[in-house]
Amino acid sequence: MSQQILRLARPTKIELIRLRRRLATARRLHRVLRDRLLILTQELVALYREVVESRLRIHEEIIRCEKELVRTSSYVAPWIFEEFSNVRIKSFSVVLGSRIVVGVRLPLLEHEVVEGHYDPSAYPITLKEVSECYEGVLKNIIRLAETEISLLEVGREVQKVKRKVNALENLIIPRLRATIKYLRMKFEEREREDKVRRKRIKQILTRKARI
Amino acid sequence: MGEDKTLEYLLERELRVVNSYIASKRKSLAELLREEHPHVLTLSGDVHMFRKSELILAKEVIGEDAEKLMLPIYVELIPAQTTTTGVIREEIAAKLVSTILGINHATPLYVYPIQLAELRRKIGTLIQYVVSPETLKEIGDFEEI
Repeated sequence: MSQQILRLARPTKIELIRLRRRLATARRLHRVLRDRLLILTQELVALYREVVESRLRIHEEIIRCEKELVRTSSYVAPWIFEEFSNVRIKSFSVVLGSRIVVGVRLPLLEHEVVEGHYDPSAYPITLKEVSECYEGVLKNIIRLAETEISLLEVGREVQKVKRKVNALENLIIPRLRATIKYLRMKFEEREREDKVRRKRIKQILTRKARI
Repeated sequence: MGEDKTLEYLLERELRVVNSYIASKRKSLAELLREEHPHVLTLSGDVHMFRKSELILAKEVIGEDAEKLMLPIYVELIPAQTTTTGVIREEIAAKLVSTILGINHATPLYVYPIQLAELRRKIGTLIQYVVSPETLKEIGDFEEI
């Protein structure tokens, strides 16, 4: 904790009032930043967990899909695979938007799938299962991309806000407090000096009056 | 005083940043469900999008009140408390949040940090945090040392 005091031109009462006002502003700013930091840190932790979980899930899903694909390809001709992949989905689009969390703009990816028109009875049922499995993987990868970029953005903002909070907590506010304390002590000392001086003058005047 | 101005500027800037994403015009849940890409415009001119799955979840929870629920839901932060607490002042929004969190319904509804994290996970795009300058006034202007 910094116990340094600010350099003052003149230790006056006006200066003290000004410093107290400055301290109040600093404390307000500190509260706002601290709250922002709390929300951002929560977001960061949640995003980090989400990233780890998503990666694991995607990895498991890919293994499962590959197994199903190998199993299906053992009795489905390659040209049927190709034909099915052409008709199964008409369009797959990703909408890139943004969401804002305590002042930080984060990406938001929403995927839209339009199913194609085809006769399901014309193809083996396992083909559809494989296709759905890979569709799930793709959706999760899109979500993972969104989460990872968000994680980076939030992390960057946390770093910035933390620096400000630390500066206020460990430097500006303690320094202002120490200066206010110093000024108060100075005024008290001045008052005591005045009291002693007045007493001394009174004594001298009484002595002179006796003479 | 240079430092005075800097602190005032930083406070003003922080309040502006924190509150810049308030929607310039809020929309009802029913209105958003009808849109292809549900979104609102913010005061800073950005686009805040809502996740469709979260809107559907909200619709399932509040049912017929979808016309009355205005989105995004504002969670007002109260910095004067020892631990940061959010407060939801609107009745329908409080009903939705209390149902999602599985807590007793009350208006205004106070939401604590752990609950805020859960809320973020379930309806992250539907909520927005706001810092009210009024609550900042509660912090005493002068401090006894």
